Amino acid sequence: MDEGGILLISGGALAAIAAILYFDWRAQHKKPSAPKSGAAAKATQALKPVLTLGQSAQEDVEHIFNDDFREELRNRGRLHFEKIIGENAMFLQQDLRQTTTQLNEYMRVEITRTLQIEFKKYEQSITDAKQLALDSIEKTVTTIEQQRQLLESQMQNQAEAQRNQIIARFEAQMARIVNHYVMQAIGNQIDLSDQLEFILGELESNKAAIIEDIKRGA
Amino acid sequence: MALNKSTKPSAFILPPQLSGKTDINRLLRELEMLDEVLIVQQSQKISLPKVTSLLNQTAMANGYKLLEQTHRQHITEQLTKIRDHAPLLHISFATEPSPKVTETLLGWLRTNVHRYALLQIGLEPAIAAGCVLRTPNKIFDMSLGASLQKQTPYLLKLLKGAALDAPVSAAAATTGKP
Repeated sequence: MDEGGILLISGGALAAIAAILYFDWRAQHKKPSAPKSGAAAKATQALKPVLTLGQSAQEDVEHIFNDDFREELRNRGRLHFEKIIGENAMFLQQDLRQTTTQLNEYMRVEITRTLQIEFKKYEQSITDAKQLALDSIEKTVTTIEQQRQLLESQMQNQAEAQRNQIIARFEAQMARIVNHYVMQAIGNQIDLSDQLEFILGELESNKAAIIEDIKRGA
Repeated sequence: MALNKSTKPSAFILPPQLSGKTDINRLLRELEMLDEVLIVQQSQKISLPKVTSLLNQTAMANGYKLLEQTHRQHITEQLTKIRDHAPLLHISFATEPSPKVTETLLGWLRTNVHRYALLQIGLEPAIAAGCVLRTPNKIFDMSLGASLQKQTPYLLKLLKGAALDAPVSAAAATTGKP
């Protein structure tokens, strides 16, 4: 049952209650007929032929709808009303249960849907945050890699330059290094007699220059 | 007494044992002392006093007799002239040279450079091997260091060859192959 049906049933029940209350109120507030005096009786009697028919109808009506009858009708109405109220209450209870069930289902679905939407949003947020973090990490890794390559290149260049400098210095000073090594290795063990051939060879190769210089000096 | 032309050489000869001005000065002092001794004992029949072998060799090499005053005077004059005018060469060694080495070098110098060349010997341990000869205006570095310096390209070639062979040797040592 939809909401319109519930509202229709509720409205009908309220209208019936209002009609019963109205009739009950009218019965309780009806004016009692006053006792008639002698003059009035006479006047009444004088007017009797005129009013007889109407009065008879009134009396019949009052006779038919007397208090007992009214009470019986009231009881019947009360019973019928209670019956209707009971039936309607039962329907209303069923409808309320059904409505509650539907409302619970609806709330469950809505809450589930809302939660799913929120979860999706939350999941999307987490995914975005994760992607941002990954991007940031990737950028950082890229930057670090670039810095590492730059540093490696610089270090290689410096090492190469230093190596070349050491080699050049070694080559420039190699004669002294070897001489020093020879001197440390064999030192005084070289006899001048053994070097005589070498010295004479060197003197022979410089002979012309020595003679020339001595002539100039002289 | 006149000089004996037949025994005296045409030019004054310096013995190879006489290397430098110090030796000449020593000989001159010895000759002077010898003169004084011989003048004092002039009237007596004397024999030659004991002289150093260097003076004796000098006199013998030139055919002079030390008992003769004119010969001694001639030796003195020649030595003085040589001391004052002969070219002086400085030569340095790492260690003190033996007399044989000095004589050999002096013989070569007096044969090839100047017959009266004098030598002043010095010590320079940094030379290691060889010698350094200093003439009046030049220095002739004939040491081992200078020789190595001249052979730097050859040393570089040897080093590069050794450096190229080193990885092969290292790899062979790693694999255990000979």
